[in-house]
Amino acid sequence: MLSARLVIDPPAAGAWNMACDDMLLASVSERGQWCLRFYQWSEPTLSLGYFQRLEARGQHRASRSCAVVRRATGGGAIVHDHELTYSFAASAGDRLSADLTALYDAFHETLIEALADFGLRAGLVPDGQGRTADQPFLCFQRRSRGDVVLESAKVAGSAQRRQHGAVLQHGSILLRSTERAPELPGIAELSGLELRPEQVIAAWTPRLACRLGRRLVPSEWTSQERQRAGEFAQQRYSNPAWSERR
Amino acid sequence: MDPKDLLYCKTHEWVHVAQEGGAKLATIGISAFAVEQLTDLVYMELPEVGGEVQAGQPFGEVESVKAVSPLYSPVDGEIVAVNSSLPDHLETLGEDPYDAGWIIKVRITDDSGLARLLDFAAYQKQCAEEG
Repeated sequence: MLSARLVIDPPAAGAWNMACDDMLLASVSERGQWCLRFYQWSEPTLSLGYFQRLEARGQHRASRSCAVVRRATGGGAIVHDHELTYSFAASAGDRLSADLTALYDAFHETLIEALADFGLRAGLVPDGQGRTADQPFLCFQRRSRGDVVLESAKVAGSAQRRQHGAVLQHGSILLRSTERAPELPGIAELSGLELRPEQVIAAWTPRLACRLGRRLVPSEWTSQERQRAGEFAQQRYSNPAWSERR
Repeated sequence: MDPKDLLYCKTHEWVHVAQEGGAKLATIGISAFAVEQLTDLVYMELPEVGGEVQAGQPFGEVESVKAVSPLYSPVDGEIVAVNSSLPDHLETLGEDPYDAGWIIKVRITDDSGLARLLDFAAYQKQCAEEG
């Protein structure tokens, strides 16, 4: 069986987190190296979808004190606080990743299976949820086909960037509500179950490995990768020109 | 334009090349197959007139189904026209991808990249394999 890297990172700043994902995307384009990464954020952070306007964050008062970073992936804004983020980088020519929605389904369907281990009955938003540019600001207030819902509330969603034969998919699992987005209930509020990130990772990862057809090999960043991510963070994600580009 | 008369990138952009005032002018868009695959296009970002493009490099970006994807130029050259109404009328891409749905026009400075493009039959074959 082919393998892919598995990186579980400690909480970090938004610019670093996004830069690491850029590096993963570049690694797939250059060397075909697939990677699954789980991470959290060292401070409550609002991540904007790539096409969202920075000024739109003014609509959302509760998250105004949060740091902000613009993602390279599409979709709506996410308040990263009591949640788990994943990223996955792979070649876009693979049977699974060639299809825009098949890769979302692979992650979301296996997440539903993992949540069932804890007695949770989550499901997918059905087809027919068309998208328009006129959507709510927050990702978790939007509904797209294949999003993960629990008790009718969205608890996980994903977005992608595709370039140079590679795909990067980001996703967020809302474990618990935050005062920075109190309108969004998390899994804890919906079920009474306080899941820790490591519990979700442990239940989800074997199912993902099976679905992706890859053995997941625990891995850490090399010094060269850290240096490269630092360069991406400085040039792009810490640069106001990136956050303010629209 | 008749899709049979166009050349195609593997990344699904089409190009029509015409002689205009002693220079070669490329009109570039994305194929009906690509529009269908993308589904639910919601955003498009286009370059400015006067900018330069390089074959195989992105000149714009689109978002569909929460996925951001680049638009690649098939040629080297200078952008002489941009279909600036398109981002506000993305439905045009689905309704008329080979005429009203053109995206940019480029005065070609190096047409060597054209030899690497697919003709209609080869592109149809690629779409059948992907579809």
